[in-house]
Amino acid sequence: MHPLAALALVLGLVVVATGLGVLWRRQQGRVRAVGTPEAPAATVIQPTDVASSAPFGDHATLLQFSTELCSKCPGTRRLLTAVAEARPGVVHLDIDLTHRADLANRFNIFQTPTTIVLDGSGRIRARVGGVPNRAQLARQLDELLGSDNVHIG
Amino acid sequence: MSTSADASHNTASDAGASVPGAAAAGIDPRSPRFGAAITAVLLLVVIFAALVGASVVALVLLVLIAALFAWGAFAGVRRHPYGLLFKALVRPRLAPPTELEDPAPPTFAQGVGLLVTLVGVVLGLVGVAPAVPIAAAAAFLAAFLNSVFGYCLGCQLYLLLVRAGVLGRVQAA
Repeated sequence: MHPLAALALVLGLVVVATGLGVLWRRQQGRVRAVGTPEAPAATVIQPTDVASSAPFGDHATLLQFSTELCSKCPGTRRLLTAVAEARPGVVHLDIDLTHRADLANRFNIFQTPTTIVLDGSGRIRARVGGVPNRAQLARQLDELLGSDNVHIG
Repeated sequence: MSTSADASHNTASDAGASVPGAAAAGIDPRSPRFGAAITAVLLLVVIFAALVGASVVALVLLVLIAALFAWGAFAGVRRHPYGLLFKALVRPRLAPPTELEDPAPPTFAQGVGLLVTLVGVVLGLVGVAPAVPIAAAAAFLAAFLNSVFGYCLGCQLYLLLVRAGVLGRVQAA
């Protein structure tokens, strides 16, 4: 192959990789709403559904899915713990999928960390892949807590 | 509030032991990304050499890259020459890392890189010449996304292998 054609192919590969990276990065941390307050998700999730012995939060639960091989999971755990502790009735749970492929399949987890936001009744209200965007998550929780008529302070 | 504080520290006990944290012996997350940048550039050279017909150069360089992957996979990323290079040359010029990360995922990713490049080397040796640039391109994608965007291939593959039942099969349902 002519060196210039080879160079063009190599540069093309770099462009494709950059495009993939930009697309991927745009999805990371974004809080995507599931259902609406008027038409919430039908399924109600119980703590036993995610093998948790700890109860869910009265107003919201941040359900984090991790594996033991995950570079961003510990940082996400710290972030979500802080977010939960700042809000009464909000609980953070970290579920290790390493030995629970069934849970990964059931909740359709394709990357770790993935965080599912449950409302007080255990219905899924939002989903985040990657390290959550803190401001978006706070907004989502404020909305949730507001709709539950919680008065803070 | 105390109730949330208590519960928030609970890891679902039945779902396995707590996820090992990075706090114990973390690495600067920029170190593997620096190494991946070097690897990505070398892989581009492999692809270019293979495309212009310098197949021996391409194969030899891919063997070298595979050997470096093997180093990272078996000795751990912390003992990898790129990691040492980062420590000696790059880190002194940067601000301290805001967060340390677990070295296990990048080490696992080195193993994946080893597997992919090794397939290219073996196929190249038995005469399947296109396998060399194709394997190099696959490895380049992962190394480039890791280096530039912070994508962790090891983390993703680990979960997918768990889902496929290859890893982590301890508690059968």
